[in-house]
Order: sequence, then C-alpha cells, then structure tokens
Amino acid sequence: MSEKTNGRAGRINRRSFLTRSAAAVAGAALLPGLMTGAARAAFTGKLSMLGWDFQPDTIKSLVAAWTAKGNPEVDVAIIPNLGYSPAIQTRLRGGDKLDLYYNFAYNSQKFIDQGWAAKLNGLPDVDKLIGDMFESARARHVNAAGDIISVPYFSAVHMLHYNAKMLSDAGIAQVPSTLKEIYDASKKLQAGGLAAPYLAYWVKEFCEEYFHTYLLNEGVTAFDEKGAPVFADDPKTEGVFAWWQSMYQEGLAPKSVLTDDPGKESTQMAQGQAAFFVLHHYFLTSIRSIGGPQSNNVKSAPIGGSNFTLQIGEVLQMGNIADADEKAAAWNLMKYYGWKDENGKFAVFNQWAKAAGLAAPYPGFFTDPDVIASFPSYYDLPQISKVFATGSKVVPARTLAWYPDFQAKVGDLIHPLLLGQATPKQTVDALTKAATDAQGNTGL
Amino acid sequence: MAAPSARLGSLSGTNRAFGFRLALPAMLILLALLAVPTVLTVLYSVHDVPPNGAGLGPFVGLKNYAVVFASPVFWRSVQVTVTFSIGFVVLSTLIGLAMAMLLNQDFVGRGLARAMLIIPWATPWLVIGILWKWFADGSVGGLNAVLTQLHLLPAYQEFLSDPNWALPITILAAVWRQASFAGILLLAGLQTLPDELGEAAAIDGASLWQRFTLITIPWLRPVLITVTVLNVIYAFLQFDIVFAMTQGGPGDATQVISILIYRQLFGVTHIGLGSALAVILGVLALVGGLLIVKLLYRPEAVAA
Repeated sequence: MSEKTNGRAGRINRRSFLTRSAAAVAGAALLPGLMTGAARAAFTGKLSMLGWDFQPDTIKSLVAAWTAKGNPEVDVAIIPNLGYSPAIQTRLRGGDKLDLYYNFAYNSQKFIDQGWAAKLNGLPDVDKLIGDMFESARARHVNAAGDIISVPYFSAVHMLHYNAKMLSDAGIAQVPSTLKEIYDASKKLQAGGLAAPYLAYWVKEFCEEYFHTYLLNEGVTAFDEKGAPVFADDPKTEGVFAWWQSMYQEGLAPKSVLTDDPGKESTQMAQGQAAFFVLHHYFLTSIRSIGGPQSNNVKSAPIGGSNFTLQIGEVLQMGNIADADEKAAAWNLMKYYGWKDENGKFAVFNQWAKAAGLAAPYPGFFTDPDVIASFPSYYDLPQISKVFATGSKVVPARTLAWYPDFQAKVGDLIHPLLLGQATPKQTVDALTKAATDAQGNTGL
Repeated sequence: MAAPSARLGSLSGTNRAFGFRLALPAMLILLALLAVPTVLTVLYSVHDVPPNGAGLGPFVGLKNYAVVFASPVFWRSVQVTVTFSIGFVVLSTLIGLAMAMLLNQDFVGRGLARAMLIIPWATPWLVIGILWKWFADGSVGGLNAVLTQLHLLPAYQEFLSDPNWALPITILAAVWRQASFAGILLLAGLQTLPDELGEAAAIDGASLWQRFTLITIPWLRPVLITVTVLNVIYAFLQFDIVFAMTQGGPGDATQVISILIYRQLFGVTHIGLGSALAVILGVLALVGGLLIVKLLYRPEAVAA
C-alpha cells in the first residue's frame, strides 16, 4: 500500500517537475557546468524503458525519482514476466526502439549478436562498475572476449530454506547441505510423518536452474568457458540425476512439484507442509511474510557443502542507440538502476531489498548501512554475501548466444527423468545432445 | 421425368457479379489479414531467417521441413495434437448435442439455462485455462473434491503433474468451453425442426431412438458439419488452455504443435523452423476440416 502511495507521489512529483523543467533544461544546455552530467543537458527527449511486472509502481517511482533529479523523462512500459522473452523479442524484431530494458541473463549475448543490445565498453565508469562486483558475478556481464554486455538488475543465490523446528523435532542436529544429506534428512522426516518434506520449483521452464544448482552442489560445472558440455564426461553427473529422480519417485517431493508455483510452495513452507525448499535466497521473505504457523521457524542455509551453488541474476541491457546524447542519458539511467545513484548509494537495489529481499552482486551492497537496515532481521546478510563471494558460480556459458535453445529443452528432458520415463544415463545423453544441437543450431 | 436438380444458392451471372462486388471489400481485408501472413509464413519456412527479422536470410529449400520431420519431438507432438483433437472434437460435439437436445425441451427455467449456456463460450480460452488449473489442483481443486465425494477417486490426485492425466484434463477444460459453442449452434438448428415431423413419426410407431437418428440427426446435418469443422480447426490450433494449465508438461505430455511453434518462433526465435511447423499445422487443420466435410457433407438438392 505504501508502495502504491509512493508510486502516485512519484508521478505527481514528476509531472510538477516537468511543468517547471523546460526552462531549467534550456538553461542547463547553455550552462552545462551547472549540471553534474553533460548528458542531462544534451538529451532533451524521452527515454524508453521496458521491464517486467515485478512491482511496476516501484519501477515507475524509482525512474521518476531519477527524472526528478534533472534527468530526462522516461517512458516506462511494463509487460508480464511470463512470456517476457518472447514478447520483447517480438517487439524488437518488429522495430520497437528501446533505450533500456530488463532481460534474462541467458538472452544477453544473443541480443548483442542480433544487434538488439549495445556493448557497454568505454562508457563512463563502466569499468568501475564491473570492478565493484563480486568476482564470481562478472562473467554474467562480461563475456570471454571482454565485451561488457549488461549490468545487474538483481541477483540471487540458490539456498536451502528449512524449518529449524521440524529438523530439531526430528533429531536432525546439522542442517543438511549436500544432496545426500538432504536426501537422508528428507527420508527421516518422511518416516516421521511429513508426507513430502522437500520442495523445489521444478516446472519445465525452471529445471535448467536446478540442473546447474545440483551439479554445482556436487562440484560439477556443467559447461566449460567455451561452452563444451563437460557434465557429460563427469561420472558424478549420473549420480546427481539419480538423486533427483529418487527425490521425486520416492515421494520426498510432492507429485505436484512439476507444476506448482513458488507462491504455493512458500505457503506450504509457512503452513508446515514441508521442511525444505530450495530456491533463490529471497523466497525467505515470501515464506515469512505469509505469516503461517511455521513461518517464523523457517531459516536459510547455504547448499553444496564445500562446493558451490548457482548464482543467478537478471540484467539490464541498453538498446543500440545511434544518438550519442541519448546513449549517454540511457547509460546514466542504467548506472542508477543497476549500480548506484549519483551520491554513491545503492538507491534502486535498496528499494528491491526492502520490497522483496532481492540482492545486488556487489560486496559493498551487503555492507551498506542503508541496505542492512532494509533487510529484515531474519536475513543473515554476511552469510549470503559469503555465498556470493566464494560459494556460488554463475556458469558463464549461461549467457552464450546458443544457450536459450538449450535452456528451453532442459525441462523437456528432466521431467521424463523425474517421472521415471528416462534413466539418469539416458538423461545425461539427451542433455548432451540438446547442448550439441543448440550449439549447432539444429533440431527442435 | 424428374426435374433437373440444382444446388441451393445457384445464381445467375448478373447476380453472381453483384454478389462478388458486395463481397469484394471483405475479400480485400481478408487478403491483407490472412493471405499476406500466410505467404510470409510459407516464405519464412524455406529460409534461414535471422532472429532479428532483418530480411529473409538465405534460401534453404525444404531443410527446415526435413529437420522437423526428422525430430522425435515433432512426432510426439503430432501424437499429442491428434489425441487432443479427437477427444476435443468428439466430446465437445456430443456434449453440445446433448445440451442442445435438453435445452430444446420445455421445462421451468429453460430461459435461464439457455442463457447460462453462453457463459463458457463467452469466457476467453486463457481465463478458462487458469480457472481449470485451479479446479484441477491436487490440493485445493474442486475437481478432486467432486470425484472423491462421488467415490470415483480414492484420494486427491495431482492431475496436472501426472502424464497420464494431464492431457485428458486439458481436453476436458477445452471441451467445457467448446461444448457450449456447439450447443448454441445445434440448439438453433433444432429450433427449425418442425414438430410435425417427430409427431408423424411417433404416430407411425418410430421409437425415440429412431426419431433421433432418422429425423433429428439428418435435419441437423448441415449444422453438425459446421460445428465439427470449426471444432476440428479449434482443436488443431489450440494453445491458450494448454499453455495456461501445463505449458506443455509434464515432460511432453501435453505439448501440442502450437506450443512447439510458440517456443520455436517466439522463445528461441528459430523463425524458419517455427514457420515450417506452422505450415504443417495449417495443412493438418485444413486436411482435418476437409476430411470432415467429405465424410459428412451431402449436397442438398431441390427441384429447379
């Protein structure tokens, strides 16, 4: 509710600002020294920005706040998250002009290759922005050739949300971390009467994230830097798939997990219908805010033992802008939205942290007093920061141009594994072929 | 000697020309809205079109079709599409016919019942998909409640996560809407059936079943053809309900061809492959429709 109020207030401020800003902009054009950014004075048009519908009022108020600081007006368009990738590609193919847009990381190199997005090398402060990032996160935004292809919109790590009371009641002293420990703990909880202790977001579109998460948990990075599917040659891969299949076939995860959404699963955790939920760290906010009888017993812990978990993050990309002033203005907006404001504060990320516990892939984010104050006390920020720093990988192949083809096929091949229609070995072979086909641009 | 027969609607040359002029504006609009995209899709299907849509790209002949026909994903999808279509056409037509027969009887509340028949038809496919996703939910869905109360199910079932159930449930959801469409058209057809025909047959000793098969069904044949052909086309092109309920899953259990097309065209932007799939689906729908016309259509002849 307060967000809506803020959103309305932002729009009113923006309108009132605009009615008074024409003279200021003209004056600034004559006296650029009065303005902190040359682009501010030079570009007098309207920027266009496209995002998906996660808290659209917040997006608009954040952008309006940027405009209110003497920056150009921004036309913000919001479309649904579901189907965002098809929608934006259709728009761009149809000739839509976008200065700045949200994108899924797996699309980022493809968009560069198709001329839909601009490389960011050479833009003011871009090297500082990249340098500010966790080293583990850089490969998502900088490709192997050194091209800077995106900046962060938000980032997250896959963690284990667990019900501490249920574990304690079942006599499980140590929070499980490895796949085997999770399996053993789930078995114990199931034997104690909890029908399906383990939850995950295993719908088709999301299986790809778990494919990487579980492999990383066992120390397998699925693709090398050139994109070769090295998981195929690692003997541990089959074991990971066997574990995955067992979790479903033995009923440790509910049958509905193939179609359930995270909202329902958060509720199940809050209601005490499950003890484990592996997904992005910020789902702890959902579980806690539901206020169910078990909400306050749910905590988060790293997974993967001494290995890694998957670090994900969606990105902001800049359209291919011909006009230098417009490009400079768009870059200023990108820096604000994907890094810091002109006062060096994580203004936008802080808002996302408040709204939903989303994180930014910058070490400074986790030590910023404003950010620390924004996160609810149940978050262990140093722990999450540590997972970002040393406990997670982004798997650089996930941004390669062919990757969306592979990403689209993973669910088709993992679901038969879970349903017992394919063996772990067959699944390894099928995924290897899917990766090869994707790189060769062959097959459906 | 019998008078020479002529097909209904036969027109003189002058009338035909007048009719053509009347239809011309609509034909031009249709040409722009249907023919242009159709031709473009066929063109795309024989080219390696770049994802950014900058031109047609290199001509590849039938390579995209070869890739499609060589893919087990496609053949599995054909199997799912045909199964979905058969279930959809048969059930929606039969249930629609049953509803039309019922609503053609005199009973208290008939007007209200007829009005309610329109509700599913007036609801968008996507909304029905979302409603049915909740209705079929394994934890809170009403379908489970009904079936367990009727002792048809021993316990709640995760319909949409079960590859054996997911397709039948998506068919049912689609039938729920389309049966009302069929019912409305067939009811309109039934209302033109003179009562005297049934009464005369009853006096002649025809049973209820004989009156239904020998009078009602032949009378409804033109409407039945229309309904069935439209149902066939709707069936082959169905996307919204399946996507809303399962996105084609679990696995490939509900992956109809239109979902495959969506993924190829808009998800991974293989425009050539997606267009080849679209052409194949269009041909399948056309063949299905023509087959129905061929099987059911009998020209009406009248004395000239």
